[in-house]
Amino acid sequence: MADNKPVLEIEDLSVAYVTGSGLVHAVNDVNLQVYPNEIVGLIGESGSGKSTMAYTIMRLLKGDAVVTKGRVKILGQDVYQLSKKELRQFRWSKMAMVFQSAMSALNPVMTVETQILDALLSHRKDMTKEQARARARELMELVRIDPKHLKSYPHELSGGMRQRVVIAIAIALNPALVIMDEPTTALDVVVQRSILDEIRKIQQEVGFAILFVSHDFSLVAELASRVAIMYAGRIIEVTPSDLLHLQEKHHPYTEGLLKAIPELTAEDVTIQGIGGYPPDLQDLPSGCAFHPRCPYATDICRRVRPEKLAVGDKLIECHLFSEKELVSHV
Amino acid sequence: MSNATKTPATGTALLEVKDLVVHFPIGQGQFIRPVDRVSFSIGPGEVLSLVGESGSGKSTIGKALVRMIEPADGSIIVGGRDVTHIRGREIKEYRKEAQMVFQDPFGSLNPTRSIEQHLAFPVRKYRANKGVSVSEQIDELLTKVGLTPVAETRRKFPHELSGGQRQRVAIARALAVNPKFIVADEPISMLDVSIRAGVLKLMNDLRNDLNLAFLYITHDLASARYIGNRIMVLYGGKVMETAPSAELIKAPTHPYTRLLLTATPGTRHRGPLPETSNSAPNLLEGRKGCPFANRCPLVTDVCRNEEPPLRELSSGHAVACHHPA
Repeated sequence: MADNKPVLEIEDLSVAYVTGSGLVHAVNDVNLQVYPNEIVGLIGESGSGKSTMAYTIMRLLKGDAVVTKGRVKILGQDVYQLSKKELRQFRWSKMAMVFQSAMSALNPVMTVETQILDALLSHRKDMTKEQARARARELMELVRIDPKHLKSYPHELSGGMRQRVVIAIAIALNPALVIMDEPTTALDVVVQRSILDEIRKIQQEVGFAILFVSHDFSLVAELASRVAIMYAGRIIEVTPSDLLHLQEKHHPYTEGLLKAIPELTAEDVTIQGIGGYPPDLQDLPSGCAFHPRCPYATDICRRVRPEKLAVGDKLIECHLFSEKELVSHV
Repeated sequence: MSNATKTPATGTALLEVKDLVVHFPIGQGQFIRPVDRVSFSIGPGEVLSLVGESGSGKSTIGKALVRMIEPADGSIIVGGRDVTHIRGREIKEYRKEAQMVFQDPFGSLNPTRSIEQHLAFPVRKYRANKGVSVSEQIDELLTKVGLTPVAETRRKFPHELSGGQRQRVAIARALAVNPKFIVADEPISMLDVSIRAGVLKLMNDLRNDLNLAFLYITHDLASARYIGNRIMVLYGGKVMETAPSAELIKAPTHPYTRLLLTATPGTRHRGPLPETSNSAPNLLEGRKGCPFANRCPLVTDVCRNEEPPLRELSSGHAVACHHPA
């Protein structure tokens, strides 16, 4: 993959929300690349900054959020250097997003067809209405919905079908990158699985990169090839997803999350939560933000923020690993 | 297994549900049956996990059990007393035995009341005359659910707490009346992963320490297995399969249980799902056959015409299927 140019490059990105009582640092010094045809998972709990990341990449941040540092490049283009008009064209044709709630992403008073045509015709001036109709049918078949539902309104479709329509609209213009923000969280487990299978299939057929934002570890581990884990606005680990198990060394937070999920088929089911509660983003702990909850925390963790280190195929931001490195080299 | 207590024989059951039916009118004299002749029992200190998709009837069963809704048919016997059709004052009395914890810890607490006020109300109303002061009892409840330091927690309002802490307050409030069992309806599904384990463990501890029984309602098989002595799988308002937890996961016999297991993340299943469509079950009263028939890969004519009875395969393992594996 190294010979490929990344589709998405996030460089030293920081984002803060301006509130009456000061700045809330939602994203801090994040670096991440996503390569063509790659599925990268972005995992975090509420308040970790994962959704803010997604909105920042799409340049969809609302008025009270500001990018305080860094760059977001898609296909080499800095998204924040585009004019409003350029951005409108860029969005949806180069990058698209699938939101968690399909019902609020779709317009309840427009048929599915009208909404797909809308997306197509507003971006492709060269397209005739007939061509757009044909493309709409093609898209419906791609997401495995009977094209007769083009005439349906969103409320006439099941939750799973609505989310498929949203995916169809997202890929309508063949974007290079699709950001999916918890696209299956509101769905039943069987429907969730069938949609994930479809996402994987379509992605292989059509070819685009996915940044898959989720809080669900086991789901992301199955879908993505690489996984980035966020805590308190920082990416604290990036790991190949097939190493995402307890036989491997991980950041203590990753380890904690892995131990917190009851395993379905194991002989003996034991679980262990992570002590304490997520940090206040307005008043982040000193040093490593995870130190108040970390069972391995030492003095240095309270004082100094750890650097990112390469540990095998993983990138980990933790003193535990730097100390070990030191010890083994002395 | 960390929690293998024996299922008590019927007769010693704390709670006995027989042929429970809940129906709702949908106009023109027609009814839907979200719960259709469901039977089960729960012993003291036992946890029964009720697993199903949305629309399976699992939450409706929970609400019927604490008598937030009245069943149309069947019976609910708690501690030897029939509570199926009790009314008014009797329901209030019954709340001392049966409590409920809801999915949304943001919606179930009053934003204008402090945590202390939340707990003082049920403590005063239901157990004030025990020789222990209300204040001490509140402290005791907060300690029990791990919300220490108690002095600090008491003063707080719901918005100052995280989701996990709020859910602990909801559990403390349920405990305030000294119930015999708690219906916990998806109590962890809105919580962060790192927090879920703590709440599950708390429920496990309460079961062990207080001999408290739970009906744990969930869509997640992994947590159902962790906390439940037994798992009961529901579909279209009917019990599809019920077995001791580990057995249900290891040796599922109903095609729907197998579909659920296949679809659960973490099983690394590849290839098509064992279903023929993803249509929703028919809940209309008077439907024929097995509710899963139109999705089932093993379907035959008999499945469309005759409802399969729940048959016991081995001790404690029963399945409602014409073609079990």
